[in-house]
Amino acid sequence: MYKHTGSRGSGAPSWVLQRISGLLLVVVVIGHYFVMHADPASGHTYAAVLERMHHPFWKMFDLTFITVGLWHGLNGTWGIFRDYEMKPAVNLTIYGIIILSGIAFWVLGVNTILSF
Amino acid sequence: MAYQLPKGQAKLPDGWLRTNLGYYKHGGSWAWILHRITGLGLTAYIYVHIYALTTLTQGEKAFDDEMKLFTTPVFKVLEWLLFSLVLFHAFNGVRIVLVDWANGARYHKQILKVVYALGIVLFIGMGVLMFMTPLKTMVASLK
Repeated sequence: MYKHTGSRGSGAPSWVLQRISGLLLVVVVIGHYFVMHADPASGHTYAAVLERMHHPFWKMFDLTFITVGLWHGLNGTWGIFRDYEMKPAVNLTIYGIIILSGIAFWVLGVNTILSF
Repeated sequence: MAYQLPKGQAKLPDGWLRTNLGYYKHGGSWAWILHRITGLGLTAYIYVHIYALTTLTQGEKAFDDEMKLFTTPVFKVLEWLLFSLVLFHAFNGVRIVLVDWANGARYHKQILKVVYALGIVLFIGMGVLMFMTPLKTMVASLK
């Protein structure tokens, strides 16, 4: 029988979100690169970061960036692993590592942003 | 195009490598492989990036000292090379969206050419942006 007969549980929502978050990241990551390197000081001095972090806009921007970026990367990684046949225990272990490390690094990044 | 067996296929042992290396790959197959490799690379990088920036919580000196290392020529070149992963993954990602949502299957080969062309142009542009000023200073100091 078919594994999935509807869209529920098939991974379709994450498939759509992967594309939407990807389109967002195309603009944001390339923009981030140009902003950080057009003037080396803007990305590489404490003073410049402090100045940006005083604006709620940039704080929200970075919080969104880190959330969308991590989710897109880890959802993609999980998508690659799902292409391979794995024993349930291995499957669960990899999924666990992805989820737990993702949460840990999200907390780490959010903590850095909110420390200002 | 007629199906071609790649040279040396018979020499490949059975298993994962043979399954993955032993079939003819069109441009789109390479794009698929590159998209995965660059994606994994960028995901690994975002972890390193988040960890590296935690020095921001330790004050100005800790961060600026760390940035002295990251603004050395070796790290700048590495950051520039990383941009090639960003560019390929970003533009090929747009190509995937076009294939899925905009009838891109009819012109995905042409989009792939645009992906590479746009990537190369922006990669060179970023190189100019990152290295023009230090190169000018270097040349000026030689005079």
